[in-house]
Amino acid sequence: MLEFDGLYKAYGSNQVLEGVSFAVAPGQMFGFCGSNGAGKTTTMRIAMGLARADAGEVRWSGRPVDEIVRRRIGYMPEERGLYPKMKVGEQLSYFARLHGLDARAAGRAAEHWAERLGLGERRGDRVEKLSLGNQQRVQLAAALVSEPDVLILDEPFSGLDPVGVDSLAEALLEQCRRGVPVVFSSHQLDLVERLCDAVGILARGKIVASGTVDELRSAATGRQLRVVAPDAPNGWAAAVPGVRVVSEQRGDTVLELAPGADDQQVLAAALATGRVAHFAWREPTLVELFRHAVTDTREVAA
Amino acid sequence: MTAPASTDIKPHSPTQLVRLVAGREVSTRIRDKGFLISSAVLIVLIIGLMVFQVIIGGGESTSRIGLVGGDQAVEQVLQQQGRALDTEVTVVQLADEDAARTAVAEEDVEAALLDPTGSRPELLVQTAGGSAEDLVQSALAALSVADQLSEAGVQLDPAPEVDVVALEGAEDDRSQATIVALLGVGLLYFLFILFGQFVAQGVVEEKSSRVVELLLATMRPWQLLAGKIIGLGALGLLQTAVIAVVGVAGALAFDVIDLPGQLIGTVLNVLAWFVIGYAFYAAVFAVAASLVSRQEDLGSVLTPTTILLVVGFVIALQAAQDPGSTLATVTSYVPGLSPMVMPVRQAAGEAAWWEVGLAVLLMVLAIAVIVRIGGRIYAGALLRTGGRLKLREALAAEKA
Repeated sequence: MLEFDGLYKAYGSNQVLEGVSFAVAPGQMFGFCGSNGAGKTTTMRIAMGLARADAGEVRWSGRPVDEIVRRRIGYMPEERGLYPKMKVGEQLSYFARLHGLDARAAGRAAEHWAERLGLGERRGDRVEKLSLGNQQRVQLAAALVSEPDVLILDEPFSGLDPVGVDSLAEALLEQCRRGVPVVFSSHQLDLVERLCDAVGILARGKIVASGTVDELRSAATGRQLRVVAPDAPNGWAAAVPGVRVVSEQRGDTVLELAPGADDQQVLAAALATGRVAHFAWREPTLVELFRHAVTDTREVAA
Repeated sequence: MTAPASTDIKPHSPTQLVRLVAGREVSTRIRDKGFLISSAVLIVLIIGLMVFQVIIGGGESTSRIGLVGGDQAVEQVLQQQGRALDTEVTVVQLADEDAARTAVAEEDVEAALLDPTGSRPELLVQTAGGSAEDLVQSALAALSVADQLSEAGVQLDPAPEVDVVALEGAEDDRSQATIVALLGVGLLYFLFILFGQFVAQGVVEEKSSRVVELLLATMRPWQLLAGKIIGLGALGLLQTAVIAVVGVAGALAFDVIDLPGQLIGTVLNVLAWFVIGYAFYAAVFAVAASLVSRQEDLGSVLTPTTILLVVGFVIALQAAQDPGSTLATVTSYVPGLSPMVMPVRQAAGEAAWWEVGLAVLLMVLAIAVIVRIGGRIYAGALLRTGGRLKLREALAAEKA
C-alpha cells in the first residue's frame, strides 16, 4: 500500500497542502485530479524527496519513503527532463544504473524498454533530435527502465496524440497487472475515468473526494433518474412521493429521488402517461463530479 | 500486498552513485568535440613552442668567421674560444682581402680575420661591436701568449681539471625552473577556466533541461556535485599529465632544456597544485552556475571568479620576475591565488617548506568552507528555475 498521510506544506505564507491523505493499493491505478495550482505536483515532489513536507509522511508497505525506497519508484516529473545531448540508449541505461541495476542488467533493460515503446531504431540518436512525442516516450521509458515497484507520474499524458495516449495507457495498465501501484495526475478527466480504479480530487490543499468513480458518483450527487416519455404532460412526476423534478423539457425529465423513494413507482407513473422511450439512472461524468467537488468543498465526500 | 520481486537490484552506496555520475561526466566529455579540439590545440601549442625555442636558440649559437691566411692552429683556437662562449664557430678559408670584404658585405660570414699571425691582424665586420670581436680578440690573445711562451722555451703542463662543487643550485637552473613553473601556471590558468566552464555548463545543462529533478529523486545534491567535480577533475588531471609528459619528453628530445631533477620536481609540483586549485575553482564555478537556469546567464555569475583567476595569473607573471616581492609573498598564501603564485615562488627557490604547507592548508580550509556552504546553495538552487537566484534565496530554499 502506498500511503500519503496528512501532508502539510507551505511556501512562505502560501499554504499549499493542508493535510493531503490518500492510499493506493498494489495494482491500483490512481488518478490524481485537481485544478491548476491545487498542489498535485507538490504532493508528488514530496513523495520523491524533492520537497520537504512541513508535516505528514509518505509510506510504502508501511515504511516511510526514504532514499532506498525511492530508488524503487519510477518517477516522471511534470517538467520533462532528459540530457538533450545524450543518446537514448545510453540515457536509459544510465537511469537504470542510478536506480541500482548493474551495468549489464541496465543495458538489457534499456534495450528492452526502447523496443517496447517503439524507440528501437532511435536508440543511437541524441534525445534532442527526437520529436516531442518520442522524447515523451523516452521519458516514460526512463521511469520504467528500472522495473520499479511504484510509479508516480506527473501529467504523463499531456502533449500526447491519441495514439500516444493509447500506447502509454497500455504500458501503465500492464504495470498495474504486475502489481505496481500507479499514481498519475491529469487534467484529462475522461482519460482518468476510463483508466483509473480510484480517483482523488485535490482542491485548496485537501483531498475533497476520493474513491472509485462509482463511489464518487453515488456519494457526490444524490441519485438522478432520466425519463423520456414523449407524450407526458408537464408535472407528471411531481405527485410521486420522494421525487423532485430537476428539469423537464418536452417529455425529457430529470428527477432526483430522495433516499427510500421507489424508482418502480416512478416508472409506473411514467407508463401511465403513455410510451416510455428511456428510463435509466443518470451517471454523472467525472467532469461533473470534479466541478461539483472543486466548487463546493464543504460537501466533502467519502 | 504483493510488490513485484526485485531480487537482482540492490541500492547503491553513496560512493557508487558518485562514481556513476563521475563516469557519465568522463564518458560524455571525452567524446565531446570541444574537449578533443582544445586538447589537440594545447599539445600542438606546446610542441610548437619547443620547436620555436630550437630555431631561435639554434640561430644564436653559431657563428661563421672568415679567415685570410693563418694556419690550422688559428682555426682550432677560434673554435675552442667559441666553445668557451657557447658559440659554434665555423671557420671559412678565404683567398684574399677582396674576397673577405665581399663575404662580409654579403653576410656570408659575420666577420673576416686578415693576417692573424702577422704583427697587425685586422678584423673586417659589417658594424663594430658584435660578439665576433670579443671572440677573435681573445682567440688571438691566447694564441699570442702560447706562441711567446713556446719561443721563450717554457713547457706548459696541461691545466688541472676543476672540480665544480655547487653550494646552491645554479642560477641558470633556477631561472629555467621558473620558466617551466610559469609555463605550468599558464597551463593551470587555462585548465582552471576550461574545466571550470565544463563544470558550470554541466550544472546549467542539468538545470535547464530539468533532468536534475530525475537525478535528485535518486541521489542527494552533494553526491551529484561530487561526482561531477571528481569526474571532470580526473579528466583534467589526465589532460594535464599528458601535456606534462609531452612537454618533458619534447623538451628532452629537442634538447631545449637540460633536465635536472629540479625541473621534473617543478612539473610534479604544478600537477599537485592543479588538484588543489581545480577542487577550489570547480566548486566555486558549480555553485555559481547553480544560481542560473540558462547558458546565456552563465557569464554574469562566473565573472567574479574568472577575475580572481586573471589576477592570480598576472601576479604569477610578476612573481616570475621578482619572486621575493611582498606582493608575491602575500598572495602566495591567499586561497584561490596560491595555486598560481606559489609554484613560481617554489621554482625560484623562494618558498620554505612550511610556507608551502601553510598555503596548502589555507587552500584546503577554503575548499572545505566552499563545499559546505556552496553545497547548501547548490542544493537549494537546483530545483528553482526561472531567473537568476540570489545567494540568500538559495540558502533559504535549501531548508524548504
